Amino acid sequence: MRLLMWWSGRALSSAATLLGVSVLIFAAVRMMPGGFAETVLGPFATAEQEAELAARYGLDQPVLLQYGHWLAAVGGGDFGVSMISRQPVGAELLARLPITAELTVLAVAASALFGVPLGVLTAVRARPGGGGAAGRLLSGLGVSVPEFVLGSLVVFVFSRHALGLEVGSWVPLTQDPAANLATMVLPAAVLSVFAISVTARTTRDAVMGVLVEPYVTAAVGRGESPWFIVRHHILRNAATPVVTLLGTITAYLLGGALIVEHVFNLPGVGSYIVQAVGRRDYAVVQAGVLLAAAVFIVMNVLIDLLVGVLDPRLGVLAGRRS
Amino acid sequence: MSLLAVRNLVIDYAETRALDGADLDLARGETLGLVGESGSGKSTLGSAVGRLLPTTARRTEGEVLVAGEPVFDLPAREVRKLRKKHLGFVFQDPIASLDPTMRVGNQLRLVLGRGGDVRFHLGRVKLDDPRVLRAYPHQLSGGMAQRVAIAMAMATSPELLVADEPTAALDTQVREEVLNVVFSLAADAGTSILWLSHDLPAVARRCDQVAVMYGGRVVERGPAREVLGRPVHPYTAALAGSAPAAAGHGVRLEPVPGRPPVLTGPSPGCAFAPRCAFAEERCDHERPQPVLVREQEVLCHRAAELSEAETPREVTA
Repeated sequence: MRLLMWWSGRALSSAATLLGVSVLIFAAVRMMPGGFAETVLGPFATAEQEAELAARYGLDQPVLLQYGHWLAAVGGGDFGVSMISRQPVGAELLARLPITAELTVLAVAASALFGVPLGVLTAVRARPGGGGAAGRLLSGLGVSVPEFVLGSLVVFVFSRHALGLEVGSWVPLTQDPAANLATMVLPAAVLSVFAISVTARTTRDAVMGVLVEPYVTAAVGRGESPWFIVRHHILRNAATPVVTLLGTITAYLLGGALIVEHVFNLPGVGSYIVQAVGRRDYAVVQAGVLLAAAVFIVMNVLIDLLVGVLDPRLGVLAGRRS
Repeated sequence: MSLLAVRNLVIDYAETRALDGADLDLARGETLGLVGESGSGKSTLGSAVGRLLPTTARRTEGEVLVAGEPVFDLPAREVRKLRKKHLGFVFQDPIASLDPTMRVGNQLRLVLGRGGDVRFHLGRVKLDDPRVLRAYPHQLSGGMAQRVAIAMAMATSPELLVADEPTAALDTQVREEVLNVVFSLAADAGTSILWLSHDLPAVARRCDQVAVMYGGRVVERGPAREVLGRPVHPYTAALAGSAPAAAGHGVRLEPVPGRPPVLTGPSPGCAFAPRCAFAEERCDHERPQPVLVREQEVLCHRAAELSEAETPREVTA
């Protein structure tokens, strides 16, 4: 019963959030300076030509009506047709999703594989007063270097010098997995710099918080070794903020690694949206943002469920006697 | 050789001095009640026995010997061995001292290792309800959680159990039961107890020895009945006088006047001097050295004179 209540509550609030996002994005797209007709026809088009084009795409109708039409179509699973390529948006997004998903998996796996151990290690080794400065500097740098700077730098270096990895091209995974990986490693690495830094820092803070808990002192008092305590008592107790962060990074990247995909010329969801924004391709922008929002909402539900499993005090069913 | 020997131990935190030259001895099989106000250094001393101090603490001077081993000078591996073999700890907040993400049964199994009989160890602390094994710590009452913590601490039959106010967070009815469990288990296993407590009457009932702390030093120690019955140090006398049970019916309780000190460095004289009715000039700038009066060791310049007075407590009135 409690579980049912929880699920229906989450479903309702998720739907409301999505609806709100759809209103916002619909309005925002139409508030961009330079409408679709202007962008497509260029600066020398006549007013008649623009009006004709707008009429063809229904852009001369009241915005509220446009929204109604669009919402009804989306509800039926139809995300419309790209106004530039004349291709269905849904199919195009679906075709591009695997590339973005692969990038996401690589970057998030790197954060978990390198960021978490780094955070645990620096926390356990931390001494009051001394140390930590180098780590803080490094993670601070990793968090604050913008992706377009790092991405451009990597593209520049790797396109100037033959270093074994190509940039600017992309090979489908199904065609040649090894070659595909070779084209994905660099963009994934650029994304990882931020993700690893943030993960390491969050893990470190979480572990430092757990280290001073009485149950850790109790375990030390029982004569347990540091790694035994880390494995059995610290990892799970420190997991909540880290899991939340990794889930958020996943959702964020799945919505399209806009800058990195664009810089590395990868045909993922992100570069699709960036192009669409530049061309005022309303249907694509709307679908892309809605997808990103939906991924975020689903991911948040997953995070809540997982956190509840990790820490019984925070679970959906917390308070229930076992 | 005593099981536990603390010699002139000085522990500093960043700006404050928690222990200012504490001395303590505990023989095998004996029970010692360590009493004093909050902030007197009890907990720091208790944690120092197992080198369990927070990382901000610094040992400035002195040493702690457990079974002859200098706890602070051992390599980390040896300290772990010492804790595993000789020491057990029970803390103030029982629920917080259990891992919140692990079922009680799993925590016990983790401590007992393969072949450990979880039911037997729970039975020893009078927890027979099998549902306890499936429960998470936050689902237990404080008394139940403390029994689990005691079972874990006593599982290895340590030679010394350090119990840091194990009943402070519990309801009054549960306190006696939990203390009964601790003391009977320890008696069976031949475990010595270092019991940190505020509860003077309970200490008087249960402990062989008493040590009174003030300002980071042990100011009076000896057999419980002597120290609490015929206190020599003015502070012990005041403490005993402020314990509710010490007063007869209709007798006014005498609070210890003033506030306990917060030290930032070595106390120049006797730390109790500003609150002491018997303080002389030298008490302010001369550190008292231990004096043996009857069966107790006292840190007081005027210990000899005060012990001659029939009942020093009445002199303060």
